[in-house]
Amino acid sequence: MSFLDNSGDIILDAVLTETGRRRMAQGNFKIVKFALGDDEIDYSLYKKNHSSGSAYYDLEILQTPVFEAFTQINAGINYGLLATAATDLLYMPVLKINEKTAYGDNVRKRNGLYYVTDTSGDTSAKNIKSKLNDASISYLEGSTTGNSYIMVEGGLDTGFGTTPVGSSENRESNIVANNLNDTSFTVFVDNRIISEVRGASPTSYVNNTSGDGGTDLNYSIDLVAGTPTSLNIGVENYTGYKINAIPNQISYNTQATDQDFSVIGGPRSAMTGISLVVKSGLSAEYSLYGTVSDTTRVSGVTVDFIDTMVYVAGDNSGATIEVPTTVIKLS
Amino acid sequence: MAVASYEMLDASKDVTTTRTLLHESIPLTGTIISGTYGTFPDEGNIKNYTHGQFQSVYDYPYLSSSANHIFDLTIGYDEGSPLSASSATTASTSQQSKKINMYNQFSQVLLGYTGSNNVVRKFELDLTLDQTGSMSECVFINLSRLITKDQIKKGTFKIVIGTGSWATSHGLAANTVKTLSDASASDTGGTTNTIGGDYGVLYDSTGSVPRGVIFYQAGIAVLSTSSFGTSYSTTQFFSDSSGYKSIDRAFVSSSITGTCDSVRHRIQNITFNNTTEINSTIYFCRVPHNKYNYSSNPTYLSASTIRVKSVNTDTPVAYITTIGLYSSNSELLAVAKLSEPLRKDPTNELTLRVRLDY
Repeated sequence: MSFLDNSGDIILDAVLTETGRRRMAQGNFKIVKFALGDDEIDYSLYKKNHSSGSAYYDLEILQTPVFEAFTQINAGINYGLLATAATDLLYMPVLKINEKTAYGDNVRKRNGLYYVTDTSGDTSAKNIKSKLNDASISYLEGSTTGNSYIMVEGGLDTGFGTTPVGSSENRESNIVANNLNDTSFTVFVDNRIISEVRGASPTSYVNNTSGDGGTDLNYSIDLVAGTPTSLNIGVENYTGYKINAIPNQISYNTQATDQDFSVIGGPRSAMTGISLVVKSGLSAEYSLYGTVSDTTRVSGVTVDFIDTMVYVAGDNSGATIEVPTTVIKLS
Repeated sequence: MAVASYEMLDASKDVTTTRTLLHESIPLTGTIISGTYGTFPDEGNIKNYTHGQFQSVYDYPYLSSSANHIFDLTIGYDEGSPLSASSATTASTSQQSKKINMYNQFSQVLLGYTGSNNVVRKFELDLTLDQTGSMSECVFINLSRLITKDQIKKGTFKIVIGTGSWATSHGLAANTVKTLSDASASDTGGTTNTIGGDYGVLYDSTGSVPRGVIFYQAGIAVLSTSSFGTSYSTTQFFSDSSGYKSIDRAFVSSSITGTCDSVRHRIQNITFNNTTEINSTIYFCRVPHNKYNYSSNPTYLSASTIRVKSVNTDTPVAYITTIGLYSSNSELLAVAKLSEPLRKDPTNELTLRVRLDY
């Protein structure tokens, strides 16, 4: 993949993707819409305080060389420009993972990974969950009956104690009014390993309006199956599941209890809990895509594991987050 | 990641199709055809087959994966040709039935049959196909589709052949080198349409004496033996262990491969323009002024604050490098890249013209 010649006029280098060629062979090639991308751009190169003036603000960005087009579908647009019409936005939502202990069932990462258990290696004498408990590693149960989840929060993470604070008024004006509030998330998982994604039910809720002072945590998160979608992330073997987003109603108060319950340091938009269901019958996959008979990941326990990335995207905001996970079982 | 924002294309306003003919100039020099990759007639870029019915010419020794097939060469004559009759009495024959079969094969594919008995037509040195002026003994040059592409451009084919003695086939004597061309053919006339496609007549440099025909879509040149007919080549067309042979004698008593060697020996160069028909769909991707001024690129934000703005009244800006074209269920079907980032802000509206060629 070389760079395009940028010494003369602007040119367009267009190719059919693998999917495009396949659709053409099948006779159902039809382009109906387009999207714009800027994957090569590093916006940190935008020098809005350049001493030589505004002509120099984006000089480095405009000199960014662009790769030529190639045919893998993930080579297209990984993020993309947003159609938001408002011109006065200063903030945009991000997604973060909430590991606050105030919630009973949200899992925490260990060495950068979120653990998902596969009980297929369990015996009557030992099981993977107890081994992880012994090692103080929290985990997703990897089944449809599990209650634990990875808690994903969205909002303007401008920092606690700075403006705009995470009040419900600022949530309305900065997020909801600008159509940046997510009502659903799409979770992309490797379908060779994960067979289902579960998310917060529509009746779930999270706020900090409980207690005598009206500032305590009040939440209930139930998990329901997500809906498979045809949305394509552009990574081989990945399937998208649409799950509910519930309003993130943790808000700023004078006691600043929002800091105890949220990792977003500003107005919050939406949140959800994500649980993964491990595909049944995984066996050879561990040696194909992962590691077997390992004794270092969980000290003193022989396990097989597959590390796999989970991608989460806010359907309205376009905000994304990558969640590194490991599916683990006893050898 | 999945893209969050799409812009719909209006098939009636934003999509159009075009057809373009692209031409390339193809020069085939005689040095490739004979003598460069070994000692004539055993060059490494010449492939002979055990069946002996034709010979293939490559642009590089054919055992190399870098070699490209340029053309095939063969000869043949009609069963009514004097060579067919005389061969039994005046010379030992070689592959006579193969030579007749070869002529018939080209004839039936390029010209078809005639009469109630479905006799194959004979090649003719004119455009009328009235069975007059026929060529009964021919050299066939089948140019590879790799170089002719969709067809040879009419009016551009030229072949230069040496008609001198075997030793000095391209000698300096007057009229020793003969140029045959289809200069009288064009897209608007000078050709005849047959079942094998359009063909034009190859005239020598006088412009009045026909020496063969060229089938444009098939990429096949058919040369009459008269093309090589001078006093020298009449007697010294070919040389082998039995001595010099006239062209008629070579056609009768030499193998097809041997005669092809002698033809190669006399080709000085071949030039033509090929034609590639490109059908294009052009998508006009119209980017309105009030959209696509923000990005979901992770570097766009720092602590949730848009990097390109200091206050909310600053103009938002984003930079376009890629255009993705999608199906209705958001599958990326084609992707186009700009050669440099294109600034997009609310003060400008863009129309990006993406052309897909088929």
